[in-house]
Formats: sequence, C-alpha cells, structure tokens
Amino acid sequence: MFNQKGLNELGDAVREWEKKNQEQFKTERKLFATESGIPIKKIYTPLDLAEKGFDYLKDVGLPGEYPYLRGNSPVGYRGKLWGITAYGGKGTPEESNALWKAQVAAGADTISVAYDLPSQLGLDPDNSKAEGEVARVGISMVSRKDWEVAWEGIDFNKIGVYQVFNAPAIFGLANHITLAEERGIGVAELRGMQQNDVLKEYMARGNYIFPPGPSIRLAGDILHYVGKNMPRYQAITVCGVHQSERGANNIHELALMMANAAAYLQAAVDRGVDADSIAPGIMFFPAVDHYVFFEEIAKFRAMRRMWAKIMKERFKAKKPESLQCRIYTAEGGMGLHKEQYLNNVGRIGLATLAAALSGVELIDTRSYDEQFGIPTTEAQVNAISTQNVVAYETGVDSTVDPLGGSYFVESLTSETEERAWKVVEEIDNQGGIVKCIETGYVQRMIAKDAYEWQKRFESGEIKRVGVNIFQNSGGEIEKPMRIYRSDPAIEKLRVEAVVEVKKRRDNARVKKCLDELTALAREAPSANNNLVPAVIDAARAYATVGEVSDALRKAWGEFTEPSIF
Amino acid sequence: MQKRKIRVLLSKLGLDGHDRGVANVAMALRDAGMEVIYLGRHVFPDQVAEIAIQEDVDIIGISSLADAHMTLVPRLIDSLKSKGSDIPVILGGFIQPEDIPRLKEMGVAEVFGIGSKLNDIVSHIDKMSSIS
Repeated sequence: MFNQKGLNELGDAVREWEKKNQEQFKTERKLFATESGIPIKKIYTPLDLAEKGFDYLKDVGLPGEYPYLRGNSPVGYRGKLWGITAYGGKGTPEESNALWKAQVAAGADTISVAYDLPSQLGLDPDNSKAEGEVARVGISMVSRKDWEVAWEGIDFNKIGVYQVFNAPAIFGLANHITLAEERGIGVAELRGMQQNDVLKEYMARGNYIFPPGPSIRLAGDILHYVGKNMPRYQAITVCGVHQSERGANNIHELALMMANAAAYLQAAVDRGVDADSIAPGIMFFPAVDHYVFFEEIAKFRAMRRMWAKIMKERFKAKKPESLQCRIYTAEGGMGLHKEQYLNNVGRIGLATLAAALSGVELIDTRSYDEQFGIPTTEAQVNAISTQNVVAYETGVDSTVDPLGGSYFVESLTSETEERAWKVVEEIDNQGGIVKCIETGYVQRMIAKDAYEWQKRFESGEIKRVGVNIFQNSGGEIEKPMRIYRSDPAIEKLRVEAVVEVKKRRDNARVKKCLDELTALAREAPSANNNLVPAVIDAARAYATVGEVSDALRKAWGEFTEPSIF
Repeated sequence: MQKRKIRVLLSKLGLDGHDRGVANVAMALRDAGMEVIYLGRHVFPDQVAEIAIQEDVDIIGISSLADAHMTLVPRLIDSLKSKGSDIPVILGGFIQPEDIPRLKEMGVAEVFGIGSKLNDIVSHIDKMSSIS
C-alpha cells in the first residue's frame, strides 16, 4: 500500500528530523521497552510497516473478515457493547445469591462464579483434606441442592453463567443443565461458559486433579457435547490470565494460550470429532492489565490473527465462527495494590479501556479492595460501574478497532505475534505442551519471568504509585471501610449440609450412576463415549462434586507436579 | 571447616495453588547461597513436618494465600512438637493483619505478608539461622 517514492521521501525526512533533534533526544529519561523486552522506538511511521512487508488487506483487513485482526464483528460495539462481569462468589449459596443479584442489578449480564478450593479440587466439605478450606475463597457449591439455592431468582434466560471451574468442570456443566431443565429451559437455549481449562492449572493456577491426558479428554467431552447440543454456550475458555498472574510475560501468555487451545482441539480431532463442530465453543481468557496498556492491545489483536491462522491452516476449519478468536478478558489482581487502594479504581478503568480499544467480547474487572481479601459487594459493584463509565461516557464504542492502522500499534502487534510464534515452535520442539508440563519446562519459564519481574520491581525500575513512588508519608496503609472475610463457622454448616443431602437422596441410584461413570471413564476416548450424559445423570441424582471426582479418580488417578527447581 | 549451607524447606500447605511468591522466595534463597527443598502444592501439615525433620532443615517457610492458615499452620506446629522438633516456622503470603499476633502466639517465628521484599526475607532467614 505504500509507494516507493513516498517511502524514500519519508525516509529522507525522518533522517533529517533525527539529525536536527540529536540534542533533544539526549533528554530521554530511559530506554523504553515493553515488559517482555520489545524495544519501543520514539516514533513509528509507514517505514516500519513497509520494512516488514506489510500488506493492509492481508495483514489487517476489515472487521468481521479473516484474519479477524480488527475484531470478529463488522459493527464492533456500534452494535452490541462488550459483556460486563466481575468474578465473585461468597462462602454459602445464600450469600452468593445475594451478591450475584446485586451484580445483576448493577448491570452485569454474566455471573462469573468463584468456587471455593475444595469444590475446585473435587473434595466434599466433609473430606478431611478440605478442613479449614471450605467456603474460604468462594462459594462451596457441592450438589444440585446448592445450585437450587444459589441461583434462586436469577433468570437463566437473561443471565449467562460463567463457571470458573476446571478439573471438575463437567460437573458444573451438568448442574447448570439440570437446574435449567428443572426450570423448563432446554439445553439449546442455555447461555453460559465453562472455564474448563486444566492445562493452565498445571502451568499456573494449581487446581488440577487428574493427569493431563484424562483432563484433555474431559475438556474434549464438554467441547463435543456443547458443540452438538448447546449453540449459545462456550465449552471452554482457554486461559492466559492465570499464567500472566503467575508472572508470565505477555508473549509467553499469548503463546501458551495458542498452544493449549490447539492441544484441546487436536485431541478432539484425534478421537474422530470434526474441528468445525466444536471450535465455535472455544473462547479465550487472556489477561488485561493497565501497566502493559499497548502490549495488551497488541496481544489481543495478534491473538485473533494467530488463532485464525491456526484454525485455517492447521485444522482446515471452514466456518467463520471456527476461525474467530472470541475474547473474554480479565484484569488480574496483581496489577492492583494495597497502598492508596483508591488508585485501583483508575487502574481498573485503564485496563477496561485497553480491552475496549481492542474490541474484546467480554470484560471482567477486579475491585479496588482486591488486596484486602475477598471483594466486598460494594467494591464489586464499583468495578462494574467503572466498566460502564468506559462503555457509556468515553465514546470508545464509536468506531470499530480505533487503533487499527496506527503505525505503532500495527508494528507492536506484528512483533508480538512473531515472538509468540517462536515460543509456540519451541514448545513443539520440546515435544508439545503436555510434555512441557510434565517436565516442568513451562512452569520454569513462567517462574523465571516472575522472578525477573520481582527483582525489577524491588529495584524500583518498575514503578507503582503509592507503592514505590509517591508513597504516603510514614508509609501507613489506609484500609477500606469494610473488608470481607468468610466466617470460619460456615465450614461446619457446609459439612452438615452435604451430610444431609447424602442422607436424603436415593443412594442406590447415586451409586449406580457413579459406577457407570467410572466404567465409562476407563474406556479409551472416541467420538461416541462422551462422559457428559453420565455426569448429568449423577447430578440429577444429587451426587456431589467429591463423589463424581472420586468416580473419575478411580479410573485415572491423580496428577503430581514435577519439581521445577 | 566449611560452614554448612543454611537449609530451608519451603512448601504450600493444603489446597492453595498460588505459588508465585514461594517460588520467588525459593529462587532468591538459592541465589543467596542457601539450600532449598521445595515441596510444592497440595502438601499437608504432617507431611511437611516429617520431611523437614528427615531433611534436617534449619527453617520451614510456608506460603498461604487462600486463608486456610489459621487451621493448617497450628497443625504443622503441633505436628513438629509431637515429633520432638523445634524447627522454626515462618509464614508468607496473604495473611490478614489481625491473625499475626495469634500466629506468633502459636509459635510462628515471623510473618511476611504480600508486598514483602525478597531481600528482607533472605536477610531475616540468614539472621535466624546464625542465631539458632
């Protein structure tokens, strides 16, 4: 798109400008680079793009067209605004129900469910390993009984349910389906998403149960089931936010998302499932942090182009929805601070803006009190309102991909993509992503990023207002008026509740469901032995998360993490 | 005679998966010339006590970010005591300030909350080991 004569003239002008301003350039305060180490130049011009052989139509194109760099929709937010949510859950189903209703009233259209650790690790509250952990960091939601209480008065026709549930994701899906069925809503109408991404649990988040092989199989069962029966559902969100929170720089984060998503898809294809039948159920869940503002924008744009290429070239997908990388982005708590905590509201707004400038589908913001404990309801409502300020007051919705064509943003997008492909290639050279998890290669890569970051932060090279610059005199930390902390007494109530459920149901029916599940899980995965219907049967019979997980443990055993040092 | 390297056992406790902080501490201690035994995730109090004694470590460092420390840390200390050990335990992570006096009463030697600097942790462990 650039003619050679124009580029030559521009080159001359830039050289002249550089010569003239040598003295001024010496006043630059430091070397500028992205957090992952991409050098950032003073200015970007068409020369930077021409140097890379930039082809506007091929590399950028138009919104809603391959390679989807400019977004999946041809109208962007001029049509539908991004979806708004804020990850949350409190100890009991009753408390969570009140929180979620408050979020809905504030404008959330998706509830992002935070489970407690025992639920996420497939342990019932009455398991000795769960002692001291029940209901501490999210909702203890163990059986269909808890689902009935937690979702009372929340309309599944209007509100999507996003479950941050991974190793036992299949059980969360089954309960959502079961409760919807009770309310007369068929699976085809049901709207929601499952996190269902265990690969990142091994890499960063730590809530795994089974070894990688069976975990990928489970994810594939959900992908296949959703692909066949649930057109309004996202079967998986392939995560980057957790690797980022764990310390991975954004190139590594991007590469790991691509490698993981391809691994899930490949496993499904290998058992005879058609890629086009499941790919529309894949969503991505990258991080958005204010402190890597332009890098995040470049990452979101690059990931759409990368995924489109992977789907088209490797998986030979045909449907447009298979080629599109749908983005649900979340701000992580690592970018928020305790010191001068109200500064976090600004940080949340900036993270939202970065995501909105990138045309993502859904944004999840943390709250200003993130560093003091589980967020209070008022802080969560504020996080949603902050998104609404960006959505309704800035005009960011007025044009599609407003930064598209910026010489800087396009250069950074291409550079980000190039570097991420190299990491993907390296993972392949190391034997693929599962091998890289089993040997600890990925965990070490992330740990190294985190350690380097920490040293740069402690040395003052990375700056945070109120933390290592512009601190309060005397260093005192002002606290929010209210801090939420789960009451330790809840654990006893949750134990009693699950004991009660186990007493009241038809235990012979539960045992039959669980035995069938174990037997089915022992079979080699194929296109015809999906575990979802068996888990739905178990959920209908009021089986618990611990029981369903145990039935699968019997078939598959558990994962032990490799030593990373 | 060359002085023995300071041996530190680091571990998560219970179900918490957040290991960014404890892994950073492990690397900083290594860089400071100490020996680190890192047990990783999903380890329970009795196991930590047993391995710490077996490995004859100077200090145990526990990382907690999921608010289960008021149950699990006292169990670790009791387990050490019941095995006749007085290896000091330090705690890091997300610890509510109101817990700190109570934890110290229970026998926790020091608490490093979020925002603690690696250098401070390293020098504290160095100092503790030279005293004991």
